[in-house]
Amino acid sequence: MSNFSPFHRSRERLSPLSRRQFLWRSGGGLGGIALAWMLGKETAWAEAGRPGILTGALHYPAKAKRVVQLFMAGAASHIDLFDYKPALIKHQGEPADFGEHVEAFQDGLGPWMPPAWEFRPYGRCGKHLSEVVADLGSVVDDIAFVHNMVGKTGVHSTATYLQATGFAVPGFPGMGCWVSYGLGTLNENLPAFVVLPDQRGYASNGPKNWDSAFLPAEHQGTVIFPGMPNPIADLFPGKTDYLTPKSETAALDLLERLNQEHAKSREGDARLEARIRSYELAARMQLSAPEALDLSKEPRSILKMYGLDHGKTSFDKEINPVEETDYFGRKCLTARRLLERGVRFVQIWSGNDNSFPRRNWDSHEDVHRDHGPLAMGMARGASALIQDLKQRGMLEDTIILWTTEFGRMPSSQGSKGRDHNPYCFTNWLCGGGVRGGVSYGPSDEWGYKPADRDNPTEVYDIHATILHLLGINHEKLTFPHNGVNRRLTDVHGHVIRDLLA
Amino acid sequence: MLGSRIGNWFKGASLPGGLICVGLICNVAGATGALDKPLDAKDRDGGPSQAKKDPVAANQDWWSIRALAAPPAPKFSDWARHWARTPIDAFVAQRLDAVHLRPSPEADRATLIRRLYFDLLGLPPSPEEVRAFLQDKDPQSYEKLVDRLLASPRYGEHWARHWLDVVHYGDSHGYDKDQPRPNAWPYRDYVIRAFNQDKPYAQFVQEQLAGDVLHPDSADAIEATGFIAAGPWDLIGHAEVPETKIDGQIARHLDRDDMVTTAIGTFTSMTVQCAQCHYHKFDPISQEDYYSLQSVFAAVDRADRPYDDDPAIARQRRNLGDQRHRLEREIKRLDEQIHDQAGPELARLETQIEQLKSAQAGAQRPEFGYHSAIEPNDSVAKWVQADLGQPVSISQIVLIPSYDDFNQIGAGFGFPVRFKIEISDDPEFHAAVQSVADKTRADFPNPKAIPQIFSADGKQARYVRVTATKLAPRSNDYIFSLGELSVLDGRGTNAALHAKVTALDSIENPPRWARENLVDGYYYAANGSGTNAQELKLLEEKRQNLLDKPAVMALQNDLTNLQASLHGIEKEAAKLPKPKYVYAGAVHYGSGSFMGTGAKGGEPRVIRVLNRGDVRKPGQVMGPGALSWVTALPARFDLPKDAPEGERRLALAQWITDRRNPLAWRSIVNRVWQYHFGRGIVDTPNDFGKMGQTPTHPELLDWLAAHFRDGDQSLKSLHRLIVTSAVYRQVSTIRPEAAAIDGDNRYLWRMNRHRLEAEELRDSVLAVSGVLDLTMYGPGFQDFVIEKPENSPHYRYDLYDPEEAGSHRRSIYRFIIRSQPQPFLTALDCADPSMLVPKRDETLTPLQALALLNDNFMLAMPKHFATRLEQAGGGLESELGLGIELALGRPARAGERKDLTAYAQQFGLANACRVILNLNEFVFVD
Repeated sequence: MSNFSPFHRSRERLSPLSRRQFLWRSGGGLGGIALAWMLGKETAWAEAGRPGILTGALHYPAKAKRVVQLFMAGAASHIDLFDYKPALIKHQGEPADFGEHVEAFQDGLGPWMPPAWEFRPYGRCGKHLSEVVADLGSVVDDIAFVHNMVGKTGVHSTATYLQATGFAVPGFPGMGCWVSYGLGTLNENLPAFVVLPDQRGYASNGPKNWDSAFLPAEHQGTVIFPGMPNPIADLFPGKTDYLTPKSETAALDLLERLNQEHAKSREGDARLEARIRSYELAARMQLSAPEALDLSKEPRSILKMYGLDHGKTSFDKEINPVEETDYFGRKCLTARRLLERGVRFVQIWSGNDNSFPRRNWDSHEDVHRDHGPLAMGMARGASALIQDLKQRGMLEDTIILWTTEFGRMPSSQGSKGRDHNPYCFTNWLCGGGVRGGVSYGPSDEWGYKPADRDNPTEVYDIHATILHLLGINHEKLTFPHNGVNRRLTDVHGHVIRDLLA
Repeated sequence: MLGSRIGNWFKGASLPGGLICVGLICNVAGATGALDKPLDAKDRDGGPSQAKKDPVAANQDWWSIRALAAPPAPKFSDWARHWARTPIDAFVAQRLDAVHLRPSPEADRATLIRRLYFDLLGLPPSPEEVRAFLQDKDPQSYEKLVDRLLASPRYGEHWARHWLDVVHYGDSHGYDKDQPRPNAWPYRDYVIRAFNQDKPYAQFVQEQLAGDVLHPDSADAIEATGFIAAGPWDLIGHAEVPETKIDGQIARHLDRDDMVTTAIGTFTSMTVQCAQCHYHKFDPISQEDYYSLQSVFAAVDRADRPYDDDPAIARQRRNLGDQRHRLEREIKRLDEQIHDQAGPELARLETQIEQLKSAQAGAQRPEFGYHSAIEPNDSVAKWVQADLGQPVSISQIVLIPSYDDFNQIGAGFGFPVRFKIEISDDPEFHAAVQSVADKTRADFPNPKAIPQIFSADGKQARYVRVTATKLAPRSNDYIFSLGELSVLDGRGTNAALHAKVTALDSIENPPRWARENLVDGYYYAANGSGTNAQELKLLEEKRQNLLDKPAVMALQNDLTNLQASLHGIEKEAAKLPKPKYVYAGAVHYGSGSFMGTGAKGGEPRVIRVLNRGDVRKPGQVMGPGALSWVTALPARFDLPKDAPEGERRLALAQWITDRRNPLAWRSIVNRVWQYHFGRGIVDTPNDFGKMGQTPTHPELLDWLAAHFRDGDQSLKSLHRLIVTSAVYRQVSTIRPEAAAIDGDNRYLWRMNRHRLEAEELRDSVLAVSGVLDLTMYGPGFQDFVIEKPENSPHYRYDLYDPEEAGSHRRSIYRFIIRSQPQPFLTALDCADPSMLVPKRDETLTPLQALALLNDNFMLAMPKHFATRLEQAGGGLESELGLGIELALGRPARAGERKDLTAYAQQFGLANACRVILNLNEFVFVD
């Protein structure tokens, strides 16, 4: 059986290189053409960036400029990773008594099940972490955990929409789109909002999670597959028998000349000039993107930090930590490079659609089997990203949000799995003005629901807090659509003051 | 004909009338956008707002709600008398006068013909058509051209695309595990036909909401109800979560919400969805209004609805259905009599029998059974086997077929056409194999739901293997599936229950499909066979004893006769040709989690007002109705309690199209205006409420709407009127002095230049390259490859070969996936089928430039374009001259032809063609 990893595919196809791969590998051969073309031009575009609707008009002084969102698709278990519940160990095997009627998504109301791994305290704050996320121990004092998250449904699709866009139905922009709309980009050569999906496939809802919906298309998340033969769709032409570097340079020249002529007799229409400029920006992206995605110049120490020094060229068929670390670490390192180059918002996905064999967090059958490798890979990459940003002085103005669509039940499903728990799950935040080393909003002794059921945290509160740190009043970043001034936070949301440094 | 129509309108235009442009000033102020007035969260959370004090009465003077009557067309000023061609121009001229603007001159004929082609057909004119039009000296040549274009089938294809944006049509469900919707397209074809036939608008509206009620035997009218189901559907929330669970209730509530939002937004331009959780914050729309609209759709789901092309067969099928329902009612009545006679013991026994049966019935369970991998042909042998743990003396082996609605297969899904059953103590089945049944030599009739029992005569073995030697057909592929495998020992105990199951291959897609589901004790059972058969038999005997009482027996005889008649009808129905299917809003006859209301004869679900939109906080029951704001009509539909569900939808359709309801007419003429000019008279085509924009030309809007309503409701007449106007024929050039007064061109002192929409651009590239395939109708072409179809299909657009046969059709025939929008068209702002798109964006981004330069489609087409030019011959310069004419609809200028020729000489014609397809002039229409 062949391995579906794109990295493997790229290795298999190394020889002969397709033209497109060659362009990517040579740091953008056509980019070089674009460069030659642009050098010959008199206009020089400053790497200024495109302003957002709030540029120069932020509501508060901003603590942060950038966001990384880590999204665990399939619903990662809070009680096996971050939310330590000794009661589950003490009462393991006893019939689960929730003290009320519980509606399970499937039939996961078996006996209490202890965490799949041991928990130990880390850092000055002494936070208990599961051994599969031990790599986060070294940065735990920078992290703020929120253990009383609640969702609206236990259905993956609607729950993923809710966490990604703030609405449980399709048709709303992702959080990154709102940030792009509000703040613009720091560098026009790259998109403001970049999405790094799981290389094996999209999570529930696919690209709808980062769609710009009613916001202008420029705010849509741009999908990049780091390590794939063609990381950005259409950045370079595929195979043809008529394109050459020279024909390309001359084509861009001719196109611009004819377009200028056309615009001359139609003065005053800014769109004609804008379209001419869009071809220049495209050429600049051809120049910038391959360099931004090229990890080969990273020193060994950095590759090691992200777990990319394993030296393997192929992986086992079964899910395993080395492979998961490679995938997630590569995306985290790519994220750092993109952030350094002015990207505003990077969304990293772990886990594909909820299919089989499981390469996602939807562990109905076996938490140990799926969560183990995924969590180890995630923890290594996330920890490296935090440390790396810190050593570059970027953690102070970069927010990292770890999230998932809902949690998992403290009771068992089958003998080794856990069912959906939309009533309680964990988020964590780090950097960018977030107070580290705190655990906010405890869950109850089982991790079944928030300890204080009347005051849970919802996605709106997380979104409001992140916007606040970016200098935005979440009630004032709006866009009119079909009769409503739409907001990321709908009509909800409170800034969680306890999380602010 | 044409002349007289315009003449009549002009008579109206000569009537006196004065106008004050108060609304205009307000509107300009409002145009800065609602960003200035963000919602206050407290205001929205804090319960009913200012609208509460008799809000309906207080808001009767709102422009969209006011009774609709045609205002007299204004008098012409001197300049306008010479300029105007239609009454439209009189209204526009008056506005221009008010702000001291003058219109722009008429565009040249080459510009006009290209504009008309794109506007009416979505395609460029051919060089021959351009030349003929430029040389046509007939003073009516423009009007004749308009008539020709409106008569073209390409017109319906183009305008259907606009309509499908508004109703968010798609060919897949969206949400999680986004599955294809193979029967959505008949609705798309209905819309194309409706535009081409110029269906009167009221009929068009009514058919989409209730065509099945109005014309139950018309294929056209049934296909129209695809409207109700056009939007996304949450498969998991319906198919895996029953209506009894909260998540299931939320999914169904949201599903109806989409139906209500779409119907009311599309036809009346009202934002009723804002009243789902609380009183509408800006418009006098109550929660009661909203839930009475949910009540209209309370019986229907999104489902494949059968129908017949032949009205005679449709009638036959319907008659048989009616007879069946009548007999069923009779049977029910008799049954009640029998129960009265037999006493309460009978009911008690029947409850027990029912419980026993449903305990066995897999119909209630999502665990379907075992499902092999999918094969392209039926000759692959596949096996599945159970390990009984130890050798067992086997009396019987029972194969119970699966049940899956996929492709309308239902019971007997995947049951092998040829197969054998063997037992052995060797798990590999190499040694000591004993045969229990061998059905490999002839095709085995599909048993549907009936368990197939094979005697094993007490043979002993540990492993039981079923091998399919000829697979069962699915859609265009083949599989092997079983619902349950039972292995009964001498005492009738099922030794296979929860046995370990292995198979050659298996699609593991729990909860529905998994190896272990083969022996989980759950299966679809149409009759009461299974593990509790003994007990069942006993109870049934007891019941029979009761029924054998003389007083009961007579009734029982009648009942048997009726049941025989029912059986006869069912047999007759089975003889009818197979129906077609359209994915429509219909009563769903399902089983398992997704039951629909079919089991209750389509009785509407009870709809209650939900406090804060929360399904856990139901309030008062709401019957069907609509918006109270329209006071000219009763807001609650006065239907008998037992009226069939379709009457509710019909009542809504009639409410919308009632001539006293002003909304539908204003809504549609505004939409049409918007597609012609790039901006509606009301710039928020889906919001005619207080948060929307107000009309720039309110009298013109009313004049158009009233004439449209009171005339023949012909969209083609409306187009004709608009495109023959002087305002439409202006140049699009920007005059600085006019732009200083009205930079946005709200008063229409020039025509708006328009960037080609995604589909227009793709279709034009195909047309210009000479490969456009004009095949109309039918299933859509797929410009992607599906991977992993069995679970969450991956739609791989990057694997599509742009040379693929059948994929060069117009974009309206594209198979539209919701979860993974087509990247090339998305870069060009095509409509997102997950949301209502009353107006598209028009962006110019670097990613769009990259798509136009480098997308595989855009790399393939220049070669066809070049081949076409080479075939025309005459040397490079002449060929490129033709290329310009084809793409830009005008003769080439010397300079550009020279430049392109020089480029082509160096790099080849295909390269030059690629440049042409990237020109600003190609993607903009003046």
